[in-house]
Amino acid sequence: MTALIARLLMVAGLFFFFATTIGILRFPDFYSRMHAAGKGDTLSSLLLLSGLALVNLAGAPLTFDNILVSLKIMAILVFIFLASPTATHAIIDAGYASGIEPWQKPGTSKEGDDDLAV
Amino acid sequence: MIWQFDIILLTLIVLCALFTISIKDLLGAAIMFGAYSFLMCLLWTEMGAVDVAFTEASVGAGVSTILFLAIVHRSTRRVKVRQRGRIFYKGLGLTASLMMGGLLFYASSDFPAWGDPLAPASNHVSPYYLLHTLADTAVPNVVTSVLADYRGFDTMFETSVILTAGLAVLIVLRLDGSRTGGPVRKMARPIAKGYEDTIIRFISRAMAPFLQLFALYVLAHGHHSPGGGFQGGVILGATFILLAISYDLQLVVQTFTEKTALILANIGLLIYSGTGALCLLLGHNFLDYAALAKIIPGATTVTARSDGIMMVEIGVALAVMSIIVIIYTNLVSDGTYEKGL
Repeated sequence: MTALIARLLMVAGLFFFFATTIGILRFPDFYSRMHAAGKGDTLSSLLLLSGLALVNLAGAPLTFDNILVSLKIMAILVFIFLASPTATHAIIDAGYASGIEPWQKPGTSKEGDDDLAV
Repeated sequence: MIWQFDIILLTLIVLCALFTISIKDLLGAAIMFGAYSFLMCLLWTEMGAVDVAFTEASVGAGVSTILFLAIVHRSTRRVKVRQRGRIFYKGLGLTASLMMGGLLFYASSDFPAWGDPLAPASNHVSPYYLLHTLADTAVPNVVTSVLADYRGFDTMFETSVILTAGLAVLIVLRLDGSRTGGPVRKMARPIAKGYEDTIIRFISRAMAPFLQLFALYVLAHGHHSPGGGFQGGVILGATFILLAISYDLQLVVQTFTEKTALILANIGLLIYSGTGALCLLLGHNFLDYAALAKIIPGATTVTARSDGIMMVEIGVALAVMSIIVIIYTNLVSDGTYEKGL
């Protein structure tokens, strides 16, 4: 049962990694690409790592050593949960500070108000 | 070893190396070099050299990338393309590297296969270390005991090389105003408020103590798991670099001053060589930690060697941490300690 949950988590993680890659390649500008990279990367890393922590426990006796390894993986997970979005934020902030214009759908007004655009 | 994985890794490594040397943008080259280091780290892990991989991840992919970024920030991003005599120089370089590469390929045919049990290195030295480490030094991690005990001399001079590198950076770059003829700058400057970002600052501030705790864990747990003085020291130094980037260089320069850093670096090397000299005083050979059993209460000659390794690792960590902070602060501010990245 634990192994099954772990596999589901890891497959979901790989799916989100794949979606992240597509997002980075296909999105039109810097900000939306970073949006895909930051969100997808964090989520898929979290899913993969929690899957790994469970795989480590699945089928093995619940000894102190095994639980310690899983706890270490969970510590990495917390670190990624904090650090990865912050890094994305810092990169986007630097892009905004250096004056990268957000992408707009061709034909809409510069202000981005789609309803008023003719 | 999973050979499919190896082939993917090796292809990516070669691609990264080619991009690194061919890219015209130096910032991009630095980032590609970071990726190259990280792939090398994966390769070391794949080959089972976890300690080397840890060092590569912390030094190669982590700190050197930041140092390269600091240099690019202080110099220029663009490579100047030489117009005249370009073909000649390119041909010269190509011939030299082809000859060198051919020589290396020729020499590599004499190497024993990877993991060959009949290789000269696996015949007398390695088996001795593998068989005797636990009985000799009470340290389960063979790499640590080889690094700090059996080959303690090498590591001591590696530490002094790092100290010398830091001093060289200081001599070349450091400007305190007296040399340029200008007024000697006061060290105490307020921490700049120009670029404030609450999220980045809060997360860096909240994570720095945990990173330092992890560095101490790496340092102290090097006997049992990958890690040790070098990796722990690099992570400790990296926390200061993180604070210098997310806050302001002044925060680090004022709290971890140049004087403190230099004193700590020298104390680190002194701890290492002092441990060796202490063994000498107690009637054994230099760096023969078994001698420490006479002064450490309750230690046998075996556990004394483990304690001796711990002492020199602390010295290494102190020296590496301080030297990394010195190199970073000097590179990023042109030696003035005024403004960083």
